Amino acid sequence: MENADKKPKKGFSRRKFLAISGSGVAGTLALLYFGRGAIRRKISDVTSEMDIPADVSNFDHKLWFEVNADNTITLKSPKAEMGQGIFTGFAMLAAEELDMAVEKIKVVHANSLNGLLSNTAASNSTSSFYVTIREVAATLRETLKLQASKLWNIPVASISTKDGMLTAGDKQLSYADLAKQITKWETTETPALRPSSQFKYVGKQQKRIDLPDKVLAKPIYGIDTTLPNMVYGAVLYSPYVKGTLKSADTSGAKNSTGVLKIVEETNWIGVVATSRYAAQTAVEKIKAEWDYNPNVSTKDLEKLITVGNGKEVNIQNDGDTDSVPDEVLTGEFRTPIGFHGNLEPSIVVADYKDNKITLYASFQNPAYLQTSVAEALDLKTEDVAIVPTYMGGGFGRKAFKSNAVEAAKLSKAVGKPVHLLATRQQEFQNGYVRPNTHHVLKGKVGKDGKILAFEHHLATGPMIFNSVPAIAETILGADFILAGHGARCAYHVPNVKTTIWHNNLPFETSIWRGVGMFANTFAIESFMDELAHKAGVNPLKLRIDHCDDTPQLVRRKKLLEIIGEKSGWHLPKSEGVGRGLAVCDDRKTVSAAVVEVKIVDGAIKIVKVIQAIDPGKIINPDGIRQQVEGATMMAISASLYEQGTVENGQFVQTNFHNYQVVRLSDTPEIEVILHEGSEVPSGVGEPPLSPIAPAIANAIFDLTGKRLRSLPLQLVLQNASNQ
Amino acid sequence: MQLSLTINNKPTVLDVEPEMPLLWLIRDEAQLKGTKFGCGKALCGACSLYVDGDLIRSCSYPAQLANGKKITTIEGLSENETHLHPVQQAWLEVQVPQCGYCQSGFMMAAAKLLEENPNPTADDIKNGISNICRCGTHPRIIKAILLAAKLKNDGKRG
Ligand code: FES
Ligand code: FES
Repeated sequence: MENADKKPKKGFSRRKFLAISGSGVAGTLALLYFGRGAIRRKISDVTSEMDIPADVSNFDHKLWFEVNADNTITLKSPKAEMGQGIFTGFAMLAAEELDMAVEKIKVVHANSLNGLLSNTAASNSTSSFYVTIREVAATLRETLKLQASKLWNIPVASISTKDGMLTAGDKQLSYADLAKQITKWETTETPALRPSSQFKYVGKQQKRIDLPDKVLAKPIYGIDTTLPNMVYGAVLYSPYVKGTLKSADTSGAKNSTGVLKIVEETNWIGVVATSRYAAQTAVEKIKAEWDYNPNVSTKDLEKLITVGNGKEVNIQNDGDTDSVPDEVLTGEFRTPIGFHGNLEPSIVVADYKDNKITLYASFQNPAYLQTSVAEALDLKTEDVAIVPTYMGGGFGRKAFKSNAVEAAKLSKAVGKPVHLLATRQQEFQNGYVRPNTHHVLKGKVGKDGKILAFEHHLATGPMIFNSVPAIAETILGADFILAGHGARCAYHVPNVKTTIWHNNLPFETSIWRGVGMFANTFAIESFMDELAHKAGVNPLKLRIDHCDDTPQLVRRKKLLEIIGEKSGWHLPKSEGVGRGLAVCDDRKTVSAAVVEVKIVDGAIKIVKVIQAIDPGKIINPDGIRQQVEGATMMAISASLYEQGTVENGQFVQTNFHNYQVVRLSDTPEIEVILHEGSEVPSGVGEPPLSPIAPAIANAIFDLTGKRLRSLPLQLVLQNASNQ
Repeated sequence: MQLSLTINNKPTVLDVEPEMPLLWLIRDEAQLKGTKFGCGKALCGACSLYVDGDLIRSCSYPAQLANGKKITTIEGLSENETHLHPVQQAWLEVQVPQCGYCQSGFMMAAAKLLEENPNPTADDIKNGISNICRCGTHPRIIKAILLAAKLKNDGKRG
C-alpha cells in the first residue's frame, strides 16, 4: 500500500499556489520538446498516472485559519465547494489534527487577498489535499502549543490539546483565549502527522456542514453576490459557432429604459442598466449581423471525427496486434456532443476601481480568471482579486471561458460593480462542449476465453487545448491527456494498440465531467461484452480473467468480485429484465456498475443500478454515496437523452426543452457499495459516471439481443425499432 | 409601475417595469436570493415560489400579475429558522443537496405536493414534480419527500 502520511518533499509559496493549476500539464509539455512518437507514448504513460503536487511549505497560519472569539476555527479552503462536499471533507481532516469537533470548524472559501487558491477539477479536491490540510492543521496546533509554552513558561511537551483547549497541569486556556494574547506569532515546523489508525472522524458518517445554509437557501452562490451601487449587465454574443460581428445597430438599445452604457467590442456588445430586465431588454433591441459558416452541421462533424481521418498519434503499443491469427471482431461506437447544463449559469460580479478589480465568481479555476482579466484589461495580475463563491454546479463548464472579461470591461465603463449573468441560451451556445467521438475496436479472443489482441482507435476533438499554450497542439499531436483519458486498454492482454485520431471541431471543445473516460469507457466496456459473448464466456468472468497482479488490476478484480456477489450477477433475473456490467479505472479510483433495464412502452427504463466503488481511503462515506448517486443520474441522462447537434452553423440546443436531461421520473433504485482498497484517497466525483453507459448498453443487449453502439441509447433504439 | 404585494407576510411596495419577471423583482428588488434562475423559460423549476398559494415558475411570470397578491418564497416556507418546515427537516435528515442550487425550487414544489397529497407514493412524487437537478440528487429528493410526509402527518397527530 502507498504511504499516505509521507512528508512533503517540495513546497510552493503563496504566489506560486495560484498558478499551480495546470502546472502538471505545463511541465509535461516542456518535456515534449524532446521528441515525438515513442516519447508521446511515454508521456501518455506518465500522464495517465499523473499526480498533481499538493504539498505545502512556508506555513503562514493566517493564509489558512482564523481562530475565532467563540473558540471555533475558520478554515479558508483553497478549493471551491461545487456540490462535492469538499468543505465537509476538509473540516473532518482538519479536526483530526486540531483536536476539536468537526462542528467547531467553519469552512469558507479563501480569496486571493486573504488565502490560497487552487483549481477545483479532476476529482482531486480530497486526494490532493489529504496530506496538506492535516499538515496545516497540525502545524497550527503545534504553533498554539508553542505560544502557550511561552506564556506559561513551561516546555511544549507538557502541554496537551483536547476539544479546543490547551492544558498543562492545572493551567487551561481555550485556543481563542490564547490567540487573543498573541501579538507576534511564531510558527513551528510541521510535525509528523497522526497515523490513520488514530483517526476519530475520517471514515465515519458526517453530516455535510454546508447543508443547513443550502436548505435555508442562504445567499451563498455567485449569482447571489450583491454590492453597494451594483448595476446589471447583459451581453450579446454570436448565436453562431465561431461567428464574428459584422455590423450592429445599437440605437434602439441606447434609448431603452434604464440603460447606462453600451460597450461595443470586436465580438460582443454589452449593455449596463439599472436592472437586469432593462439590460436584457436593451440587448434584445440590438440589430446585429454576423459572419459565420452556415455549412457546419452534425453530419459533417461526424465525418470529420472519424477514425482514419486527421492526425494519428499512437499512445499504447504492446506486443503486435497483427501477429495473432484468430478471427477479428470489430465494433464501431459513437458518442455525441455534450453540454454541461450546470444549473447556475456563468456568473461574475466585477468591481473595477482605481486600476484594480475584484471578481466575485462562481468558477472552478481562479488562476484562469485572474490571468485572462489581467490580460484583457492590461492590469497586473496582483491587481486582479478573486473572491470565489459557492458554485451552482460546474461539471467542467466553469473551468475555462468565463464571462469575467465582459463583466470587468462593463464595470470599468460605468465605474460601478456590474452583475453579469449568462442566459441559459448563452450557456448552451457560447460556452464549450464535450467533443463528439468515434471509436473502432478490434479484438481477437481465443477458444479458451483469452483475449489475444485488443485495439482501440479513437477519433475525437480535443479537450485540453484551451488550457495550455497554443504550441501544445503541435507538440502533442492529439489530446491523449484529457480526451484520450481512459482510451488505453487497462486489461492484461498480450497484444494491445491504442491510437488517437485528432481533428479540431469548428467550435470550442473542452472538459466535461469524466473527460475522455466517459466516451472511452462506453466503447471499451461495450466491446468487452461483445468479446465475452463471442467467446461464450460470462462477461464478469472475462473481465476478472484479464486482471493481472498489477496494483490497479488487483483492485479492479476485487471490486468486480464484490459487485458480482452483491448484485446477484449469477442469480436468475426476473422476467423482462436485462442485466449489464461495466467497470473503469479513473483518477486511481475503481468504479463498477451493474444495471438492470426493462423496455416499457418501447422505451428503455433503468430499474436498478448497483454501483461499487473503491475510492481508496474513505473520508466521508455518505459524501461518497451522494457523489456516486449523482454521477449515476448524470450518466443515465447522458446515456439515454443528451445529444448536442449543430445545424446551419448554430448549436440547435438553446435550453432544456431541446436538451433533455433526467427528471425524478427517471430515478431507478440505486444501491452503492463502498470498498476501501487503498490507504490513499482518490477521486470520487467523476469515476462512477463512466461505467453507466456501457452497463446500460450491455443490459439492453442482454434483454433484446440488440447491440446499441451510439449514444444516446434511447434514440437509437427507437430508430432501430422503426425500421 | 408601482406594485403592492405581500412577500412572506410583509407588505411591500416596489416600483418596477410591469413586464419584469417576478423572479427579478424577488431577487434584485426585494433582495430575497433563495429563489434561483436556471433557464428563464419555465423549464427547470429553480425559480419556483407561491403566488396566492399557487406554485408558479417566477422566471416566466410578469411582475404586474402579482400586484395585490401574496407571495411566499423559500425564505418564508418555515415559520423561522428554528422551526423548519417538515420538508426542510427531511432535506437535512436525508442530506439531499449537493451544489444545492436547484433545491429551493424542489423544496417549494415538494411542500406544495404534500399539501395536495399528504400521503404520496414514490410514483406520485416522480410524476408530480418536473424540476431539474443536474447534480443528480433525485433519489434523495424522493426519499426526503416520503420522510417529510411522515413528519408532517406525525406532527398533525401529535
Ligand atoms: S428559471 Fe424558471 S423554470 Fe427555470
Ligand atoms: S443539487 Fe446541484 S443542481 Fe440540484
